[in-house]
Amino acid sequence: MSEGISVESLLEEARLTKQMPPPKERLRLREAAGLTRDQVAAAVGVARGTVQNWEKGTSTPTPPARLEYLRLLEGLAQLHPAPAAQGPDPAAALFTGTPSSTPQPPTQAPTPVPAAFTGLETLRGPDGRAVEGDPGPCVRCGVETTYRSTDGRPLHSGAMCQPTAATSPAAPPTAPSAPAPVQAAAVSPVPARVPTRPQRRSKSAERAEADLMGLIRGAVEEEAERAGGDEAAARKALIGRAIPDVMHLFNETRSTARYEYTAYPALPDILHKPSTKEPDQIWEARPAYNNAAYSLRAPRPDLRVTALDVNAAYLSALKVWLPIGRLEHTTGSDGVGPKRSGVHLITPAEWAHPHLPNPLGDRDEPGALWITDATLRLLLRLSGPKWGLTEAPTVHESWTSGATENFLDALRKLLTAARSEAIAAGDMLTLEYVKAMYSKFVSTMGESIHNREMVRPDWMHNIHSQAYALHCGRAYKAHQAGLDVVALKHTDELHVIGDWRQVFTEGRGVAEMKIKAGDGKTSGEYLVGKVTR
Amino acid sequence: MAGRWMDFGHYGAAGVPGGEALGIAMEGMVRGISSPVDSERGLAARLSYLTKSDAGYEAMDRAGVHVSPRTLMAWLAEERTPNKANLARLDAAYWDLRRRNVATDLKHRLNNGGRGTRVEINPVNQGGVEQKYRRDLSSRSVSVRGVWDRAVDAWMDDDLEELDAVWDEVLDLIGSDYDGYSYVSSIGWAA
Repeated sequence: MSEGISVESLLEEARLTKQMPPPKERLRLREAAGLTRDQVAAAVGVARGTVQNWEKGTSTPTPPARLEYLRLLEGLAQLHPAPAAQGPDPAAALFTGTPSSTPQPPTQAPTPVPAAFTGLETLRGPDGRAVEGDPGPCVRCGVETTYRSTDGRPLHSGAMCQPTAATSPAAPPTAPSAPAPVQAAAVSPVPARVPTRPQRRSKSAERAEADLMGLIRGAVEEEAERAGGDEAAARKALIGRAIPDVMHLFNETRSTARYEYTAYPALPDILHKPSTKEPDQIWEARPAYNNAAYSLRAPRPDLRVTALDVNAAYLSALKVWLPIGRLEHTTGSDGVGPKRSGVHLITPAEWAHPHLPNPLGDRDEPGALWITDATLRLLLRLSGPKWGLTEAPTVHESWTSGATENFLDALRKLLTAARSEAIAAGDMLTLEYVKAMYSKFVSTMGESIHNREMVRPDWMHNIHSQAYALHCGRAYKAHQAGLDVVALKHTDELHVIGDWRQVFTEGRGVAEMKIKAGDGKTSGEYLVGKVTR
Repeated sequence: MAGRWMDFGHYGAAGVPGGEALGIAMEGMVRGISSPVDSERGLAARLSYLTKSDAGYEAMDRAGVHVSPRTLMAWLAEERTPNKANLARLDAAYWDLRRRNVATDLKHRLNNGGRGTRVEINPVNQGGVEQKYRRDLSSRSVSVRGVWDRAVDAWMDDDLEELDAVWDEVLDLIGSDYDGYSYVSSIGWAA
C-alpha cells in the first residue's frame, strides 16, 4: 500500500477530524492567513472548487486530502485564533436588538462545535442519499429538520447547518432573541432587501420576484440537503427537475398577466417537424462566419485576436417579440408590423459587405426562405438609414399573430437576478440550476416529449434567432467601433482584433463579455495573419 | 353532435369537429418507430415488434398481411423484402398494435389518478368569415375527468361517433357557450 498511510497518520487524522472547524471557520482561517483558494488547493492536492465547497459547507473534506487540509487548518488556527472568544458579534447584536453586553460563557468560544457533536454522521440509505424521517430540532443548530444522524437524533444532513449559541446546551437562555437563523444563508448569503417604505397591498413585480427567488433558493437548498453534501448528486437532481420547475416559475410570473397565451395552437405545416429527426422549414440564421481575410496559417501571423464569449446568450434572448395567439396567414407584407410577430417567407437582398457576417448566417441555397420575426427585425434594422448595410428583404407571406415583447420578461429578470446572485456568492449549484432552467425552457417549448406544457415551436425559433440576431449586432457594433471581426460563431463566440475593452465591458453579467477559456487553437488570445491575394 | 352549427364552413370558418380534434391530440401522444417502413431499419424494427407476441400476429391478420410462415421468416432474415402493398399493411399493423399497447398508459396519464387533465380548447379560425357573421369566441381551458377511458377506447377503435359523444360531455363543462365549440381549430393538454 502507499507509504503515507500508517497507524499514526490515521490516528492523527481521526484526532483532527474530531475537532474539524465548521465551514465558516475554515474560510476565516484561510482569509486571515491571506491565502488564496488556489494555494490551498495546490497544497492539499484537490481542485479549487473543492476547497470552496468545504468552506461553504456544501461538502465536507474526505480522504485522501482531508489529513493535509486539517493539518493546515490546525496550523492556521494556532497562528490566527478565533476572535469570537471576545464576545458576541457586535454586528449580529445590532440586528437582533439584544445588548452586546450579554455575558458569554468563556468556555465556549475556541471550539465552535461542542465536542459531543463533532462525530455525528448523516444517516444514509443504500443509495447514498440522506434518509428522511419525522421532523425534530437539529442537535447541532436547533432548527427543525427531517434528517437523522446515524445514532437516530435529528440532524441536518451533510454539514449544512451552523451550531448556534442559543441551542448549545452550555449557553444560558438568551432572552428575546430573533428566531433561529434562516438556513437559506448557507446557500446564498446575499440578504433580502429591507423595505424602507410601507409596501403596497397588491404584489408589485419586485415582491413577486422576491417570492419566486425564494422558490429557486428553496429548490437548491432542498436538493443540496437531500444529497447530503454530495455536490454532483445535487446538481444531477436539480438538472433533472429543471423543466417542471421552470414551467412552474413561468406560470407564476404569468399569474397577473394581461394576455392569455395559446399553449397548443393549430400550427401551419411549415412549423411541423415531418418526423422527430427532421427539422421544420424555419431558418433560424445561426451565425457561422470566418473572415476570409485572416488566417491562422498565413505566412506572417502577427495580428493578435481575442476570442470573446457571451454570457447566457439564450437568457438575454428571452426578451423578444413573441406571438400571443394562433398564427394567422397573410400575404405580401401585411403581416409585418411593430406589434406582430411570427414567421415570414422572404427573399433576402444580396449581402455584399466584405468584412461583416451575413445576418442570415451561412446559407448556401439562394431564393426564398422562411425566417422568424426576430431575424426580419434585424434585416429591417440593417437596411434602415442608421446602418444602411443592405437592402430591405421582400416579404411574400407571413404566419403571424399579435405580439408582445414582455411575455417572458419577468422570467428573464428573475433568472438573471438568480444568476448574478449565484455568481456573487460563488454558488456553482444555483448557477448550473439556473442555466439548466433557461436553456431547457427554450429547447423544449416546441414539439418535445420532455415538456408537454406548451407546443410553441414558433416561440422557440424566435428566441433562438433573437439570440443570433443579438450576436450579429455585437459584430456590427465591434466593427463600427473600429475592431476587425475575425469570426462570429454559434450563439456566443466573437473573435476580434483590437482593443475590445473600449467596446464591451468585461465580466460575467448578461450584458458583459469574457475572454473565451479553453484549450482549442482559437480560444483566449491567438495570432493570425492577413491573407494576401 | 351538440350545437347549432349546422352547415359548418358555410361562411368560411375553418376547423375540425371536436371529437376528431380529440383523436388527433391523443394520436400526438403516441410515439413509436420513427424510421419509415420503406427503410431497412424501419422495416426490421416493425417486423420484430410484430413477431414478438401473439397480439402482433393478430394485428398482422387484421391489417391483411396473409403470408406463409416461410415468407415471414425470409422477411425477418432480410433475404426478401415485402412488396409495396405488404409494406403498407405492415406499417398499418405496427401502428395498430402500438396504439393498443400504449392505450393503458394513455388512460393512466389522462386520468391522472382521478384528477383528470386540463384541456385547452382553441376556437375555430374565423379569419375568412365576414365580420357580421363572426362569433365571439375565445380560447377556453377546462379540466376534463371521468371520460378518458371511453375516449381512449373510442380512439383505438376509430369510433368517431363515440369520440363525438365524449366531446359532448366536454362541451357540458364549458357551460352556456358550449355551442361555439362543437368545432375547434386545435386542442391540447399536458399529459
